[in-house]
Amino acid sequence: MKQQLTLLIITILLWSCSNPSVPEVGSEWKSIEKDLQAQFITAMDSSTIVIPAGHYMFTRPLLLDGKKHLTIKGLGVDKTILSFEMQEEGAEGLKVANAVNITLQDFTIENSKGDNIKVTDTRGLTMKNIKSLWTGEPKETNGAYAFYPVLCKNVLIENCIAIGSSDAGIYVGQSDSVVIRNNESYYNVAGIESENSKWVEIYGNYSHDNTGGILVFDLPGLTQFGHTTRVFDNQVISNNFRNFAPEGNVVATVPPGTGIMLLATRSIEIFGNTIKDNRTLGTAIASYEIVEAMATSEESQLNENIKKSKRDIEYDPFPNDIYIHNNSFSNEHQFPTIENDFGLLFMMKFPFNTPEIVWDGIVSGTDDFNLCIEQEGVHFANLDAANEFEDLSEDMTPYQCVGNFVDPIF
Amino acid sequence: MKYHLYLVMIVGLIACNTPKKKPVIEEVRLEQSVELDVPNQLSTWDLFEQPLNKLIPKKDILPYELNTPLFTDYALKSRFIKIPDGNPAEYVQEEVMDFPKGTILIKNFYYESDLTLENSSRKLIETRLLIHENDGWNALTYVWNEEQTDAYLEISGATIPVSWVNEQGVAMNVNYSVPNLVQCKSCHELSGKMTPIGPTARQLNKKYDYASGNQNQIDKWKATGMLTSVPPLEEVPKLPAWNDPSTGTTAQRARAWLDINCAHCHRLEGPAKNSGLYLRYSETDEYRLGVNKPPVAAGRGSGGMKYAIVPGHPEQSILIHRMESLDPGVMMPELGRKLVHKEGVELVKRWISEM
Repeated sequence: MKQQLTLLIITILLWSCSNPSVPEVGSEWKSIEKDLQAQFITAMDSSTIVIPAGHYMFTRPLLLDGKKHLTIKGLGVDKTILSFEMQEEGAEGLKVANAVNITLQDFTIENSKGDNIKVTDTRGLTMKNIKSLWTGEPKETNGAYAFYPVLCKNVLIENCIAIGSSDAGIYVGQSDSVVIRNNESYYNVAGIESENSKWVEIYGNYSHDNTGGILVFDLPGLTQFGHTTRVFDNQVISNNFRNFAPEGNVVATVPPGTGIMLLATRSIEIFGNTIKDNRTLGTAIASYEIVEAMATSEESQLNENIKKSKRDIEYDPFPNDIYIHNNSFSNEHQFPTIENDFGLLFMMKFPFNTPEIVWDGIVSGTDDFNLCIEQEGVHFANLDAANEFEDLSEDMTPYQCVGNFVDPIF
Repeated sequence: MKYHLYLVMIVGLIACNTPKKKPVIEEVRLEQSVELDVPNQLSTWDLFEQPLNKLIPKKDILPYELNTPLFTDYALKSRFIKIPDGNPAEYVQEEVMDFPKGTILIKNFYYESDLTLENSSRKLIETRLLIHENDGWNALTYVWNEEQTDAYLEISGATIPVSWVNEQGVAMNVNYSVPNLVQCKSCHELSGKMTPIGPTARQLNKKYDYASGNQNQIDKWKATGMLTSVPPLEEVPKLPAWNDPSTGTTAQRARAWLDINCAHCHRLEGPAKNSGLYLRYSETDEYRLGVNKPPVAAGRGSGGMKYAIVPGHPEQSILIHRMESLDPGVMMPELGRKLVHKEGVELVKRWISEM
């Protein structure tokens, strides 16, 4: 008994110390916040603000509003470092609002109390060669988003690195015409997430060691709905990190071990991705109803919530028009993660054989449902979640078809 | 033996969590210097008689009050308005009045040293101007000097430590935050443009003690030719005073508090429209108001709770959690406070409890 206890304690100790820690590169911090903020305020349109090399500490957010054709650049990742470790006010590090054609590039930004970079109501945004992170152990108190364009149009995010977000590393919300390419994302809850956005291209990214690799979600009650998204040629590898999102947020329901997850969205093409070693599922197709069910524990509450979610009468909680083809699926793990309902379910239903493509099987009953999968030798599961998994099926043949190709946005 | 194991555990945990030392930050200057083409001193604007700090307005500048003002770390505020001669504002029923070009809204922020005393001394902190120019509204803020003789333009914001004694005789301290010029717009924004927040019909519809006698502000503005197209007073909406139960029910006063403290962002045309949470006094959709509404991008602001408002349960409502927080990544409003507005929180809690 005593030996077992000792073993347990040693295991706990090893576990707690073996949690990854993201190193702090900055040291000997200086403050330039008054001058830099003044430059942001007085900058002429079409100018460039260069932030010199150095490690800079901020107590307030850096705000940019209403500028046009402005470039803000550092002298390189880990050369120009902006830290919000000592932030006393504001819920983001760098915030851009109501602007036109803004380019942010070549710096490291870290440890904001909220989001590291938030860009809202902006037409034309490029973010490139930026590392955005929370140092130390990935934890619930980290900010939500490393990169957060919301309500924007014409967005390009490339060659960026996102680490340690307690929600999503690269998150695009309620936006239009978005390219997310050649980025790296790890130790976030969601590596990359597109939410209520339309005409989105997510390609060439390396999303690994998050809770979920790439998410495409559509939620009710917002300013616009999402659709028309291509997810291709990404490396979605070993997204088995524990889910450290604060409860109440929709990503808190994402099972650790998720490669790609589609939620209540439509007109989606997923192809050419390498989806590897995600323990619980390679690609999931889910309705908003199952998320609601997972977010609430009591049945009666659940029904009430589903009713509430339908207060948004325009909202369609069911995914549709999904085409998955020519991806490479593999999983060296025999068991799913078990700190979530899906993992437990798969453990029971599919021991030693976790499915790669999973659909909750919930349909609207009125619309035609269109799911096409062209993948050889992939383990598929239709959970029939609406009926307590009664008609759970691993037969993919009803869904083997050529789906709708999504046109490139450019 | 048991103790020994605990000890091992504790040592182990400490080993993993060595606390970081707070760095000491030296301020360095950037090479490019910046200037704004506006007066550097408040006195240049010629708004008040000398001595400036008595805040005696020049002719044609009128003081005004709001039914339910925004909470700003218990700072007291005195407001004035200057409307160009012979060019009245147009009355607007639900939004701020349609003010002509040349209008200046003046808001002085100050603290009384001891609110239990009759003859407490006043410390002016800052004076904010909202100026309606040809290209729209612009905000400027002036920070008062130690001598209280004049105030100076502040572009990048400032932190000013303030101490006072409140009505209950409790000593209070705050690192009062003067906003930078973009922070002004974080709140004063409607559909992407700078706008005033306070002077709406529902806020102005109250009596004020003018030198000429006690009079409703809407009537006064109409009588002095500052405001036209005014409907009869009984058709002008009126916001309750959040702290005066004779002016409305708990629900009405809580909604008034949310209207002025939150709804400038949390409305369809405001910067927080992405949240889907709308808190205007006129909002009637309970879901939009937050009842059983899950958060959208709240991050850790959710505090592990599932809905903005859970009827009957303020302790399970994200709305209250964020009003009570002082963590910059959690607290609401995001700006303009370093303290919790205890009395406001109590009011909103009571409203949710009684739902």
